Amino acid sequence: MDRLMRRGMLAVAVGACLLSAVAIAQEAQQGPQAQQGQMQRQMPLPKDIIKQAKMAPTPKAPDGHPDLSGLWNGYFGDPLVGNRNQLSNAGIQEISTDTTEDIYSGAMIATFPPDGKRRNSQDGERGNTLLRRMGSNKPIYKPEYWDRVQKFDANSNELDGAYHCMAAGVPRIGVPSQISQTANTIVFVYPGQGGLLATQATYRVIPTDGREHTKLDNLDGTYNGEGIGHWEGDTLIVDTIGFNSSTYLDQVGGYFHSENMHVIERFRREGNTLTWQATIEDPDVLLKPWTTNERVVVLNPNPKAVLAESMPCSERDFAHAVTNEHH
Amino acid sequence: MPQKERIIKILTTAVVVSLVFQIAAVHRDKVEAAPATARAAAAAPDPKPADASDPHAVLGAAADALGMLRQAAFSPGRTPRLDVINTVEFWAGGTPFTEYHAALVYNPPGMRVEFTNPNGNPQHAIEVVSGKYAWNESQIGGGLEPGRGAATPEMMAEKERLLRLWILPYGVVKAGLAARDKAKVSSENGMTVVTFPLTGELDGVTVKATLDAKNLVSRVVTQGPGNLSTETQYSDFADRSEIPTNVIFPGHIVRKRDGKVVLDLQIKMVDTNNPYLVVPVPDSIRKVSSN
Repeated sequence: MDRLMRRGMLAVAVGACLLSAVAIAQEAQQGPQAQQGQMQRQMPLPKDIIKQAKMAPTPKAPDGHPDLSGLWNGYFGDPLVGNRNQLSNAGIQEISTDTTEDIYSGAMIATFPPDGKRRNSQDGERGNTLLRRMGSNKPIYKPEYWDRVQKFDANSNELDGAYHCMAAGVPRIGVPSQISQTANTIVFVYPGQGGLLATQATYRVIPTDGREHTKLDNLDGTYNGEGIGHWEGDTLIVDTIGFNSSTYLDQVGGYFHSENMHVIERFRREGNTLTWQATIEDPDVLLKPWTTNERVVVLNPNPKAVLAESMPCSERDFAHAVTNEHH
Repeated sequence: MPQKERIIKILTTAVVVSLVFQIAAVHRDKVEAAPATARAAAAAPDPKPADASDPHAVLGAAADALGMLRQAAFSPGRTPRLDVINTVEFWAGGTPFTEYHAALVYNPPGMRVEFTNPNGNPQHAIEVVSGKYAWNESQIGGGLEPGRGAATPEMMAEKERLLRLWILPYGVVKAGLAARDKAKVSSENGMTVVTFPLTGELDGVTVKATLDAKNLVSRVVTQGPGNLSTETQYSDFADRSEIPTNVIFPGHIVRKRDGKVVLDLQIKMVDTNNPYLVVPVPDSIRKVSSN
């Protein structure tokens, strides 16, 4: 019995060693590139996810308009940061594993496989700084403001209020993560950026009852302004005025605006996708209206999913920032 | 030895053997995850790409050497390196220009050069090109707003101004990659040479770019009609941005035409941190050019 027990223990120990060795040998045979390749094969291209999601039927509200209600955070994460089908807000889109394009100009961007280099925080942040500004679709400011935009951008970690728990504001808040639609009102919920960047969660209540804007002189400028909605065919138009001048137009770029800004947002549901685009008119500072790149979000595939509670905004990162420009 | 001790000894041995395997695995992971450059340097000190006959690989190595590539994160597992250079600004001085300030954009292509030439006529000018339009500004952004300077069309200068953009090292890499299978690689005096045609507004111009031992674009020769035949030398490469970006820019630029030096610039400062640079075309220039 004792001998059997000893042999049994020995067999278990040797077996454990052999299993370890076999596992290590298999891993070594595959290598990190093979593992990465497997991951790449597992992840469909965002454009293919969008194409698939568009094929679903578009639900209609009782009044016949598309029903935009739902949780719009499927697949691509936080809509404020930018969708994974584009590179942040730069409008750079992955076409295939070795092809990337600027969706505004159609220019092809030279694309190479990853080199496996490890980079320190500063290299990483500066890399992101470059990546998020490389797109061609930029607001065209009056020449007297070109230097100001550059200064705001180069120092945005310090100067950008949204980095210090202030509201991101319209149009920078982008696509709402949740929409609730009734006959005369649409409610947009934006969860903020939680732990990623310090911005506030916010909401907008948009009347769609045919009312007109309050006179601009009678409006107190706010971060999100006074938004009024109406339908043009199957597209929801949200027309907003009455802003303060404390926010930027976009996540990066130092794109400031005046209190006379006028924002026209377009929301279009196709199947289980929602396409958002905004046109910004601000004749005080812009040479001409600027239209953002389209952003497409996908409905959360889990019908029971609910929007998670936003983390309280408590700015603790700035002291640790190694660069001054937003990344 | 009592049986209990034997069992403990056997188990201890097994655990030690297992730990040895695990430590070996961790060590291997560390080696594989070490910076690729460190490993590549140990394996092959020559920075030239493995396939020196493939234009894409050669120009990719040049892009890497110039610091043009950054790793993007589209989604988990999708992290290609992209050419991030779109806007660049630099300040220089030399001959014949005592002050030379260039702001360039590649997408869409445009460039604004403000210079002072004490012996020139004019002594000060702002030369602009954007796509198929070329003009001079009386002040930065002149002609874009009522009451803010003027824009004077210079359509005859359009091709030469565009050429300045594409023969800078970044332009060479971009245009060479865009030429795809029309780009050819050869070797001259032990140096890698890439030859390719330009397209669009510069159709008919060919570029011959020489890479140095570090894959940096050191010499660019263009062949084309009129003043589009040039030779430019680039040297003294470094990250010259006030905000460091690891994007490399030459410190010395010498351009010749017909063997005669037409430009000799010492670079004072560079901003490769994607500055806000736009080159909108004034309505007056569009109207004149369409007539």
